[in-house]
Amino acid sequence: MAQYADIIEIVAPAEAAQGSRVDITVRVKNTYSAAIGIMVGGALEYGVSPWPGISFPAPSANVAGGATYSFSGYFTMPDKKVTIHAYSYWYGTDGSWYFDDEMTKVVNLFSVPESQFGSIEITSYERR
Amino acid sequence: MGAVYLPSQYGLLLLPLANVQVKAGDKLRITCRYSHLGKAESQTLYAAIGNSGWAGFDEVLHASKTISVPEDASWNYREDYVDISITTAISAGFYDLYAKIGGTIPKVISPTLLDVVEVLGQIPESQFGEISITGYAKV
Repeated sequence: MAQYADIIEIVAPAEAAQGSRVDITVRVKNTYSAAIGIMVGGALEYGVSPWPGISFPAPSANVAGGATYSFSGYFTMPDKKVTIHAYSYWYGTDGSWYFDDEMTKVVNLFSVPESQFGSIEITSYERR
Repeated sequence: MGAVYLPSQYGLLLLPLANVQVKAGDKLRITCRYSHLGKAESQTLYAAIGNSGWAGFDEVLHASKTISVPEDASWNYREDYVDISITTAISAGFYDLYAKIGGTIPKVISPTLLDVVEVLGQIPESQFGEISITGYAKV
């Protein structure tokens, strides 16, 4: 259970093609009664070490008490399914960021199916 | 005039089709639209002229070519054609058309278009049959 920066959702596609850009949104609720600074971070788990990070162009924001803020991020889909790990932090009066919450979500690798034909029709016939 | 039966919400619709006249030496271009999903592959596009009957399609002339179908992540419609050379192997009359993708075991077969190709008979060499005087006058 998060103390102040509660991750309530990771919005991401269920599957993505290798090499494609995957856009995600991490929604974090400030459960504190007043505005606080909240920051997010993320990493990808798919069998490599260290876990590659997720890019968040604007990783932090001042969030009003009780409000939910959406942080946008993205990564490049690897050649296998990934587990997104999203982390939240809150900004203390001592000037430090404190880790608070974690949530995960899986993005499966989209694979093109075997070739198949559905129908064929003759649309024209003409003398040449 | 040929026709094709098409399924619809009202049952089978008989759609009349214009026929095309050809003779030996011509080519008949048959354009097909097909749907594809999945990985890229090369396949045979095949079309035939003949007669559709109770025992199947009796082909008289046919042609084929290899088509390269690119990868389609979702169902996509594509179009291509095949040219059938009209030879003296086919006699005068009305014929049916069909097309397919694939070899001996086709992946998809088109509906048959009935009586849409009219093959004209050979035009004979020049010859004269008779002559008669139809008038005579001073000029």
